[in-house]
Amino acid sequence: MFRNCAIIGCGQTKHTSRRRDVSVAELAQQAVQAALDDAGITMKDVGCVVSGNMQGFGGVAQPEQWLGDWIGCPGKPAIRIATGGTTGGSVGQGACYTVASGMYDVSIGVAWEKHSDSKEAGATTGLMHVGMGNLFHALTYGLSLRNLIATSAVGAAAGVAVYQAMFYMHRSGCKQEHLDMVAAKARRNAAKNQYAHLQWPNCRPEDIAKTETIAWPFRYGHVCPASDGASCIVVAEEKTAKRLCKQPAWFLGLASYSDEENQLQSENFGGVGVIDPSEQMGCRVSAKKAYAMAGITDPQKEIDLAEIYQPFPSQELIFSERLGLFDDGTAWRHMEKGETDINGRLPISVSGGVNATNAIGSSALQRILEAALQIQGKAGEHQVPKKVRKAVAHGWGGVTNYITCTVLGDSPR
Amino acid sequence: MEKKSGVIVVNGLPIVQAQFNWSVGFQMQNFLKALANKKFLASKCPECAYVYAPPRNTCSKCYKKMEEKDLVELSGKGMLAGWTTAYVELDGKGNFVDLKKPKLIAAVKLEGANSTLFMPLEDIDSKKLKVGMAVAIEWSPETKGGWKDIKYLRAV
Amino acid sequence: MAYLKDERPETMMVEGDWQVGAYRWKAPRLLEEFSAGLKEKKIIGSMCMGCGKVITQPRHLCGRCHRRMDERCVLSDWGTITCFVISPKVEKGKYKLFGMDPVDTGTLKLGEILIPVFVRFDGADSNINCLLLNAKPEEVSIGMRVKVVWAKEPKGQMADLEGVEPIREK
Repeated sequence: MFRNCAIIGCGQTKHTSRRRDVSVAELAQQAVQAALDDAGITMKDVGCVVSGNMQGFGGVAQPEQWLGDWIGCPGKPAIRIATGGTTGGSVGQGACYTVASGMYDVSIGVAWEKHSDSKEAGATTGLMHVGMGNLFHALTYGLSLRNLIATSAVGAAAGVAVYQAMFYMHRSGCKQEHLDMVAAKARRNAAKNQYAHLQWPNCRPEDIAKTETIAWPFRYGHVCPASDGASCIVVAEEKTAKRLCKQPAWFLGLASYSDEENQLQSENFGGVGVIDPSEQMGCRVSAKKAYAMAGITDPQKEIDLAEIYQPFPSQELIFSERLGLFDDGTAWRHMEKGETDINGRLPISVSGGVNATNAIGSSALQRILEAALQIQGKAGEHQVPKKVRKAVAHGWGGVTNYITCTVLGDSPR
Repeated sequence: MEKKSGVIVVNGLPIVQAQFNWSVGFQMQNFLKALANKKFLASKCPECAYVYAPPRNTCSKCYKKMEEKDLVELSGKGMLAGWTTAYVELDGKGNFVDLKKPKLIAAVKLEGANSTLFMPLEDIDSKKLKVGMAVAIEWSPETKGGWKDIKYLRAV
Repeated sequence: MAYLKDERPETMMVEGDWQVGAYRWKAPRLLEEFSAGLKEKKIIGSMCMGCGKVITQPRHLCGRCHRRMDERCVLSDWGTITCFVISPKVEKGKYKLFGMDPVDTGTLKLGEILIPVFVRFDGADSNINCLLLNAKPEEVSIGMRVKVVWAKEPKGQMADLEGVEPIREK
């Protein structure tokens, strides 16, 4: 049985490419303290700590064992969740489960990433340790090095996202200019978010179009950064939430559907049974389940705001369709008309999203956190002018096959 | 077509490394820099008085924040809380290496600290080891502000 | 206008490395079957007897219905391009692997344009990721029909499948 619970406090650190002023433990702790202060509680009031990150990127295996002291674990159950790019989303849902199940009245969900602790550029370290087994296996069977470099380094310089974008553009008529528009919107919005990483006030699509092409259609200006940062939410059951918080952000629907591997090669270099990585069946199913749990029958009308996990601008368009917010193949037209701007009909990723701030472990939790801030009216300069009654927060990751979908609202179920 | 069963072993190449440089934060930086002056710093919680060696910025007993002003200097002497003897080592590439001379590893409660630390133990008769015996830090002749400034623990 | 800057003090760093190659992984013999097939200029796929999906390179389990994919079949040499990417002209320093630059070692040519493609060979429900050869970037399109380019002397290894090339009317 799911008992009502809500987010009553949110905390984030400032995200930059190098938070070398703190160790990773101190970074996560800053987010936790900010969330506790926002909720008006202390560590003594917390019953359970749910944490997560992608450990390969920061080079600390099992970091929750080290950080435990800094994020309040002593005396409480400490649960670590790691689901690739959706780690943050699963952490948020995990914190919700611990309260909704009736086991604890107050839980915190904290997620973080410290890419600057790795010497390799961007997120290379994490990808290195993930792919090694498969790589050596294929090399043992005489995979041509030329083919390997061409397809993995050149062809997928931005990961499978570049192929995913090509499928979408071919099917829907979306052009490269539309990707420029989405990337510019993300950086413009991020300039209004004090915690975001890539902040470019008044960024225009022409500014993005001037950047170099990595692999068509992606430019350097389209790609997400590798950020250092942490975020934390405080989840409380109904009575506590109503007592402590003027406007809690209530959990209305949660779902997570993991599809089979969607990305290039599966384990042991086998093929994957998905031809089109922009199909994202997992997202369609998660969205339907989450909306059903939330009692939403027409997402296009009932959802006021969406925080979509979009490290690449094409993904904002693809996933907004898969989440049922726009008809298939039309997202780019709606975006072009300004419907997804801060003051638009259906604002999307007004925090700048993952395209402007990407501390991988924490990114999906930030989507839930930002949706909660909008419902609470606490987003500051990037608060949308319309009243947000229902919002959807999305997470995506794994081998392009994990999805988390969380629906939040301004009143309990 | 013959379907094959069983597994093969795929060996990774030892030449591939992921390299890291972890930021230490201010409290740890204060600690490492003080080692250059042969000083071993710890942090004392202003709320519950628990002393952590080396220092940190958050007390995990009462969650109070700690800063530079909460640093205290320890004498470098302590008490042997326990020990073990190691006969093999790992080479960092997945191989065991037999040690020509076994290594002693001590758990030490430094004077003034509540927490315990692990350090190499040398310059000591292994037959005379006893829990509670007095030990002290032996510093390197040249100290530069890093962990290598502490050579080992020795008997007092 | 450009990105806003955030200046912060930096504390000391401690160095270390992780030998990501120091492992002995275990893998099933599926690539061995596949490579043996390539020696005979055959592309082998595994078939699920539950849902009928055919996957290449072969796999143990069907991804969606979880049945064992023990049946084998041979796929056509002909296929369709489902997706493609066009690289910018190859430069030095951009595509290092294991610390080596492929331009220095001659694996890639300076200034060349690479066209990695997803190819769905007739009969398969999966893509194979390989290079499009003997074609100009302007010619490539999704839905284009292609056929395998085999190595002159297949040896029973993955490199026997060099890539695909457009099927041109004679």
